[in-house]
Amino acid sequence: MSEIKECDLPGIGKKFTLELDSGDKLVVVIHFSGEREVFKFMKSSDEPSSVTTLTDEEARQIGSILSGTYFQPVLEDEQKLMMKNVTMEWIKITDDSTLANKKIEELNIRKMTGVSITTIIRGETVIPNPRAGEIIKPHDTIIIIGNNDQINKFISTFEIKQRIENDRQ
Amino acid sequence: MIVNESVLSLGISLLALFIAGLLATRINQSLTAVFIVVGMILQNFFPVTIITEFIATLGIIFMLFMFGLEFSVGSLVNNQRKIFFSGIYDLIFNFPLGLLIGWLLGYDLIQSLLLAGIIYVTSSVIVAKSIIDLKRSANPETEYILNVLIFEDMFIATFLAFIVGISNYGQIDAKGAFIVILKTSVFFAFFIVLAKTSNKFINKIIDIEHTELFVILILSIIVLSAGAASYVGLSEAIGAFLAGLLLSETKQRHRISEAIKPFQQFSTAIFFVAFGMSIDYKHIGGMIPVGIFIFILSSFSKVYGGYFIGGKYALSKRAGLRLGLSLIPRGEFSIILAGAISMNPGVPYPIKSLTGVYVLLSAILGSIIMKESDWFIKWFIERKDTEVKQTKDPF
Repeated sequence: MSEIKECDLPGIGKKFTLELDSGDKLVVVIHFSGEREVFKFMKSSDEPSSVTTLTDEEARQIGSILSGTYFQPVLEDEQKLMMKNVTMEWIKITDDSTLANKKIEELNIRKMTGVSITTIIRGETVIPNPRAGEIIKPHDTIIIIGNNDQINKFISTFEIKQRIENDRQ
Repeated sequence: MIVNESVLSLGISLLALFIAGLLATRINQSLTAVFIVVGMILQNFFPVTIITEFIATLGIIFMLFMFGLEFSVGSLVNNQRKIFFSGIYDLIFNFPLGLLIGWLLGYDLIQSLLLAGIIYVTSSVIVAKSIIDLKRSANPETEYILNVLIFEDMFIATFLAFIVGISNYGQIDAKGAFIVILKTSVFFAFFIVLAKTSNKFINKIIDIEHTELFVILILSIIVLSAGAASYVGLSEAIGAFLAGLLLSETKQRHRISEAIKPFQQFSTAIFFVAFGMSIDYKHIGGMIPVGIFIFILSSFSKVYGGYFIGGKYALSKRAGLRLGLSLIPRGEFSIILAGAISMNPGVPYPIKSLTGVYVLLSAILGSIIMKESDWFIKWFIERKDTEVKQTKDPF
């Protein structure tokens, strides 16, 4: 890895110099104002051949792209492909539900239908990844995940009437 | 037309400053030079009033305070060797020149010393701004330019305390110099010890949420320090500078800077105007040739000194020349020095008018030279190269 030289520019900011394998130099100046300047110096030249000025925010974005940590949203096509097979469903637990007042483990949901409960919403509290010992209570909303067949099987097995139109779109 | 109302005249000055400043930024000229010119023109319409003078005094105090506040003690400590050596070379090349010129102009020793300071100190405000505007902050010579500037500013701040002290004492002799140096050192030491030992305490005192009270407290610290310095016979400016240094190490540094900046910008602008107004047209004619003479000589010594520093630190010829050519503009400190001590009125070349001409020349031409240095450097390097070829070729 190449060495980065650091240098104070009193009154202006800080200068970082990176010697590239090609022999060119890349110099970044961080101004006290937060502005960044990126200079490119060609081999053995002491005048920059290009200057780019970035705001603080732009610099952070570019920085995360360069370091490979920038979050790239999945392309829409891929997203559809993924969603074709997997569905999430919001289900309201009524008083007379077959699921009410039972521990998750008692219900054997996964074994019987293939569906998993990802979250229980109970009033103001949200329980993500509930434990097998968690009791489903009336008026809870549960979020389940599975493919379409599994979801349908879940609905018929537990005689669910109240599905919630979710904002999945 | 004479406008007697002092508040009205202040308003007119400010409006004139705004319009002139707007034009100046269009053509990339330094505000310092333009503000002085505005003052020179305005003196035809109304005199310097007590209000203007008072604000101008505050201008020096706030300028020095901000300078101390933004002074990076960290980078001074980190780069002390480089700063010290580049600074010393620059001092050796440029300070004695002013002493010599002062002697030629018939000044006494104190006045010559003052002139030496005026001619020696490059304007860090103008140069740093030009470096950023010209996109040169990554150039190899830039860190050396800034090192020279930081040394000069430190030197002049101390020098200011000394020269005002010695002028109050009346004459330069061994006893006077000893007393003044002792006073200056004790004053500096007091603030340095305070900064080192009581940082926590100071942090606690100035941690005030109430905006108005915060501003009043900071102002009182600044003005009290300036007043204390003045009371012991040193310059007010140095007291404000040390107050700035003291507060620069606190957590509230940024907030202080935000709070004081508007005061500083306003009063500094008025300070430059007041300086322009005090330049006497009667003297200007005679000052211009002398000013040009000093400008040419001191530009040569700055460029040569800069080139020499470049050579010492193995910069290319190109970068070395650019280093020297970037040190020509003079500005704020020269003007502060010019007004720092009262001169005896019989002097053939009044130092204020001379400094006015010199600062205008060097601030305006110096900025242009910085911008247009490329063709000169090209010409200089090609000439050198042909010389080298000629000597190498015996036929």
